[in-house]
Amino acid sequence: MTGAFDLVPAIAVLPLVSFVIALFAGKYMPKKGALAGIAATAGSLILSLWVALTVATGDGGYNETLYTFVEGTGTFSLELGVLIDPLSALMLVIVSLISLLVHVFSLGYMNDEGETGLPRYYAGLGLFTFSMLAFVFASNILMAFMFFELVGLCSYLLIGFWFREEGPPSAAKKAFLVTRFGDYFFLVGVVAIFAMFPATAGRFAGEGSFPAAAQAAIESGQTFYGFEAQTAITMAGLLVLGGVMGKSAQFPLHTWLPDAMEGPTPVSALIHAATMVAAGVFLVARMYGFYALSPTALGIIAFVGGFTALFAATMGVVKQELKQVLAYSTISQYGYMMLALGGGGYVAAVFHLTTHAVFKALLFLGAGSVIIAMHHNENMWDMGGLKDRMPVTYWTFLAGSLALAGIFPFAGFWSKDEVLFEVLIHGLGDSPLLLGGYAMGLLAVFFTGFYTFRMVFLTFHGEPRSDVAEDPEPVRWNVKGPLAVLGALAVVLGAINMVPIKKLTGAKIDYLHQWLDMAPEGFLTSVEHYAGKTGLLHDYAGYTKGYLAGETGTVLIGAAISLGLALAGVLLAYRLYNVPRPEEHTDRLGRAKTILMHNYYQDEYQVWLATGVTLPVAKAADTFDQGIVDGVVNGISSVSRFSGRGLRRLQTGVVSNYAALLTLGLVLLVAAFGLMGGWF
Amino acid sequence: MIDVQWYLLLSAGLFCIGLFGVLTRRNALIFLMSVELMLNAANINLIAFSQRFGHVDGQVFALFGMALAAAEVAIGLGIILVLYRNFGDIDVTAPTTMRW
Amino acid sequence: MRRPRLAEDLNPVAGLAAVALFGVLAAVFLSAEFAFQNPGFSADAAITEGIGYALFDLVGQSDLATEGFLFAFITIAIVLDAALDGAIMLARRDDEEQTLPDGGERR
Repeated sequence: MTGAFDLVPAIAVLPLVSFVIALFAGKYMPKKGALAGIAATAGSLILSLWVALTVATGDGGYNETLYTFVEGTGTFSLELGVLIDPLSALMLVIVSLISLLVHVFSLGYMNDEGETGLPRYYAGLGLFTFSMLAFVFASNILMAFMFFELVGLCSYLLIGFWFREEGPPSAAKKAFLVTRFGDYFFLVGVVAIFAMFPATAGRFAGEGSFPAAAQAAIESGQTFYGFEAQTAITMAGLLVLGGVMGKSAQFPLHTWLPDAMEGPTPVSALIHAATMVAAGVFLVARMYGFYALSPTALGIIAFVGGFTALFAATMGVVKQELKQVLAYSTISQYGYMMLALGGGGYVAAVFHLTTHAVFKALLFLGAGSVIIAMHHNENMWDMGGLKDRMPVTYWTFLAGSLALAGIFPFAGFWSKDEVLFEVLIHGLGDSPLLLGGYAMGLLAVFFTGFYTFRMVFLTFHGEPRSDVAEDPEPVRWNVKGPLAVLGALAVVLGAINMVPIKKLTGAKIDYLHQWLDMAPEGFLTSVEHYAGKTGLLHDYAGYTKGYLAGETGTVLIGAAISLGLALAGVLLAYRLYNVPRPEEHTDRLGRAKTILMHNYYQDEYQVWLATGVTLPVAKAADTFDQGIVDGVVNGISSVSRFSGRGLRRLQTGVVSNYAALLTLGLVLLVAAFGLMGGWF
Repeated sequence: MIDVQWYLLLSAGLFCIGLFGVLTRRNALIFLMSVELMLNAANINLIAFSQRFGHVDGQVFALFGMALAAAEVAIGLGIILVLYRNFGDIDVTAPTTMRW
Repeated sequence: MRRPRLAEDLNPVAGLAAVALFGVLAAVFLSAEFAFQNPGFSADAAITEGIGYALFDLVGQSDLATEGFLFAFITIAIVLDAALDGAIMLARRDDEEQTLPDGGERR
């Protein structure tokens, strides 16, 4: 019986097979490739659970190179490999579960609605699932980069699914270009890592990994191209962060995500909520041993995350379309995860990643259910009163919203609370700048609660504001099933890491922390290695913990403040919007609303960067190329043409001239021979 | 006996007179006559050396040369006839169509 | 008919090349050293006979002939014949009517 670890590549290959089947045989199949996708992702889920079980029962992990492209002698190698440790096993389960549920949901959203071109859709989903799963178990940063790009491609293909309309292809292009811009820096970072630590071949884990080599470089005082080791590591980390910011939609590369909502809602649920945008955060967590060596990089990550959390939450407050609110919410929540990673809360970030994947996918699928019911009208101001007409959708959506807002005891409360707690205590320790990030994250909690419940009340409560809302289209089991599964998870998932209760009672219920600590010693990816008493964060980044009123006191105070703010936001939304005929209260914000509706003019700014800055530079470069580079070449050729035009006038056509030239030549030749031969 | 170099000088002089005619005269018939002069200068050269070495080969070559000169003139006159027909003039500087 | 006049439409510049060639050749010939002797023909040698025998490959018949030139002789005959034909072909007009041998024209 082959071990679970030998079958890990099959986890990714199964969806690849479903991609091929859907692409070539999809049009002959009854559900146009959906069943192949469902079977493949179910298989991947089963294998992922088995792998996770193997990791849990003490087998630890698996870090093998499966295929070497280029064997470098005395320099780096390029290879493909598999790394299974608790983090990647967890992510495999999350990705395959959400993908399976999205495939089932697509039966209701796409097949039952009579959409065309479905083989292409399921092929895209299959290819995406393959790329994401392969990214998760990638053993080195080059392989991670390859699949990072591939998921970006699948995102482009799926956002632009309805390419015959105007919006989707433009949104797909924008998503691809903005993430590509970030990926350029990522590539430079990958090259930098390969250049600085060639013997590691970019591996993430183990003694031969680049985080271990980086740590050794700092210890031994090695310099890279004139920079100290820690500075060089910071620079490489920041370069890779470019790709992370693009993919996880952090400021300023967040502009693509709201436009990506042009794609079908199951795509938004899978890619732009739970998995692809998680790739950036997952990458930082994967190479946390590298980032933990550089307090500057961590500080920047925390600040960007905190700022994005607040920034996006303010924009979500005024949006009128259902999916737009969720898109800004996604940007904001990934800001929390980045804040956690920068603030030294590795477990908190992974916890929030897990719970967010569940409840954001739930909210998007719920939105999809509403959109089906409302005949694809997304404007919340045309909805209302749907809670009586769509009970399953309502209750699951409510569960997801409570989780998103961070209300006790739903999943989001525990994870968001832990994020803020970790940032607070490290801020109170030796890194006071983190308190700025903490403040921004805390303020964003208020806005999160407000916009989430504004969304819920406008959509489901009150009286129906249009005919379609009065009589919505019913949805079938293939929509309600995934919603129910995710709804149940959103309620109970918090139990995997209830750190406040552990700190208060001492019970060992922080299962996620223990799970992530299960990584084998040799991998150097355990929580203990990162965040323990003598872990990397303490020794190299200088993170220590400070408390306000003792550890338990800080826990309670932090939880109380964040819960209080969340409830305040919910209460404000309740007062304003849980009325039979709500009004657009956001109009009272006046000029502020205009700025928020225009997304702080970030889109216009980025377009200006392209047309006002890049285009003139490109034109200048083009002029240089045509004028100088081509000009030199043309000049050389013009010398020969000009001299040719002059020389050809020798052919006058008059025979006597030719004879004269012959004679002259003969004279000169004989004279030359005579002089050289000494005839005279 | 006269030294061979005087014969060579005579032959060179005759050749260059013929060459002078080829280079400067415009009438095609005079051009042909100059070419004949050059051929005969070569004949003188051949006979001079035949006389010097005591071989009769040079004189036989000279005979052949004269025969070829005659053949060449026959063709040349034919060409001049065609030239006159096409350009209306036997001036050698008139046909300049094969030029740049 | 006028008496012959000196040609005035000459292009003297080209002629300088011919003069230069004469100068060079003269310089070469007058400064050359002819190392070996000048045997010449004996006074009573039958030169013309010798030429005739050489032309017809009858080398043994004369002590002056050194090799046979029959092949070249025949070739020259062919060349002269070809030249004659060529001259006739060049002189023929393309559009002219076939002239009859007695000078009349074909009807």
